[in-house]
Amino acid sequence: MTYLRHVLDHLGKDIRLEWRSRDSINGMLFFSLLVVVVFGLAFDPTSYPTLTRQISGGILWVALLFASITALNQSWARELRNQVLEAQRMAPSPASALFLGKALANMLFVLVVEAVLAPIFIVFFNLHVLGNIWVLALVLPLGTWALVVNGTFFAALGLRARNRELLLPLLLLPISLPAVLAMVQATTGVLTADLDPIQIATWIKQLAGYDIIFTTICILLFETVLNAE
Amino acid sequence: MTWNSFFDISTMAHRHLLFAYAAVLVIQGGYCGWIAWNWFRTKDPRH
Amino acid sequence: MEQRTPTLRNVAWLWFGIAIAVLVVGFRQAIFLTPTDAAQGDVGRTFYYHVPIAMLSLLFPYLNFAASLAYLFWRKRDPLKALTADAFALASAEVAVVYASITLITGSDWGRAAWGIWWAWDARLTSMLLLWLLYVSYLMLRQFSSTGQSQTLAAVLSIFAAADVPIVYMSIRWWRTQHPAPVFGGGPNAGMDKSMLPAFFWNLAGWAIWGIFILLFRFALERRRQIAEQEAALQAIEASLETTK
Repeated sequence: MTYLRHVLDHLGKDIRLEWRSRDSINGMLFFSLLVVVVFGLAFDPTSYPTLTRQISGGILWVALLFASITALNQSWARELRNQVLEAQRMAPSPASALFLGKALANMLFVLVVEAVLAPIFIVFFNLHVLGNIWVLALVLPLGTWALVVNGTFFAALGLRARNRELLLPLLLLPISLPAVLAMVQATTGVLTADLDPIQIATWIKQLAGYDIIFTTICILLFETVLNAE
Repeated sequence: MTWNSFFDISTMAHRHLLFAYAAVLVIQGGYCGWIAWNWFRTKDPRH
Repeated sequence: MEQRTPTLRNVAWLWFGIAIAVLVVGFRQAIFLTPTDAAQGDVGRTFYYHVPIAMLSLLFPYLNFAASLAYLFWRKRDPLKALTADAFALASAEVAVVYASITLITGSDWGRAAWGIWWAWDARLTSMLLLWLLYVSYLMLRQFSSTGQSQTLAAVLSIFAAADVPIVYMSIRWWRTQHPAPVFGGGPNAGMDKSMLPAFFWNLAGWAIWGIFILLFRFALERRRQIAEQEAALQAIEASLETTK
């Protein structure tokens, strides 16, 4: 139970810090909005409703991917100031609790952005969901967690690197590609109702499997990364 | 095939075949050459 | 490396010679001796370089994974062995990228000539592309991370990459089962005729022997660089001790 308490402590700390400045969330929200507008201009969605439905899944996840990268880079920045990271290393709580707390905080921020972004997306793209929209309530969190858990880990990997901001997308994108494929296919399947429920369920199961595998790997390896010197 | 027809670049098929083989040799040879160049640039630890 | 004798150097040259000899035989088999393919014509001879190299490119990532695990295991227990494991991990990652690059380039070139398209997002090609991306990102991490850390971080990334490779393979295959697309290199029924076997096996052997040579050559270069760095550090320490005397 103390492990859980450590995780919740770290989570609370990150949420409190973010709430005071609201840097990340504001930045992410505006960035996602801009991406949706750019894609809207690029693809002219209202003129081609069928095509729009087919590519909307991809566009939504690409927008979220880039938005979360901007926030993930910053999430470790507050640990670097005032030598907080050294203090974290010496703290008696397990390193993976720090990681989980931060990953959960990032998850929360990205989910808030999604909750705001999804209606805007539907409006700008004139989206009429043909399938069961409640399935998206399952796909979005699973997909977001896949991006956030690996993203938080790789952001920590690049902490003392030369080109820290550049390194995160370079590492995150290749590793996330199978998850991105699954989340886009599931989302598009729901939007266009082209896939039958069994196929969508298979994609969701793949996404869940990916989440479990990489969450485990991240938790096991975070201690090594924190003490990499 | 003969040497003459291998280096015949008149058809697209032959050009592509030649390109494929040349690419392999250039890339592998280039990599080996890069290693060798660095080998002579690094100080020999025994001396 | 201090114990490296002329024997090891001679063995290296011998191995290099064998690799070249086998590759020359393979080239002769592929270009001159094997009869022209009925369906694809002469451009089908690309097969004898593309397929062996594609098969071998799947081997080096495993070597990188094993070496990274060894590095993480020995990191606190035996630093010298860890350093050697790290050199091997770097070498195998680089050779993996070289072989995967060749696979992608020759595959694309062959596809254009034989089937009219430069690329198809089919299962094999896409999986190979993702493999290439993973190991290029490994090399980028090594380049960008600060020294002292880069070995540990790269070893950690290698574990992620190794876990991802089977996931990539399975998910892309499932995707292509759902949405069939043109398949490069013929479907699963495209087998090899008996007349193709000698050229195929000579080239497979040749590129495997070459792969081992180039891997160990790169490994030796990395070890040389590591030792030179250690010597330089040692000299710097000794110099600083001199001045305090």
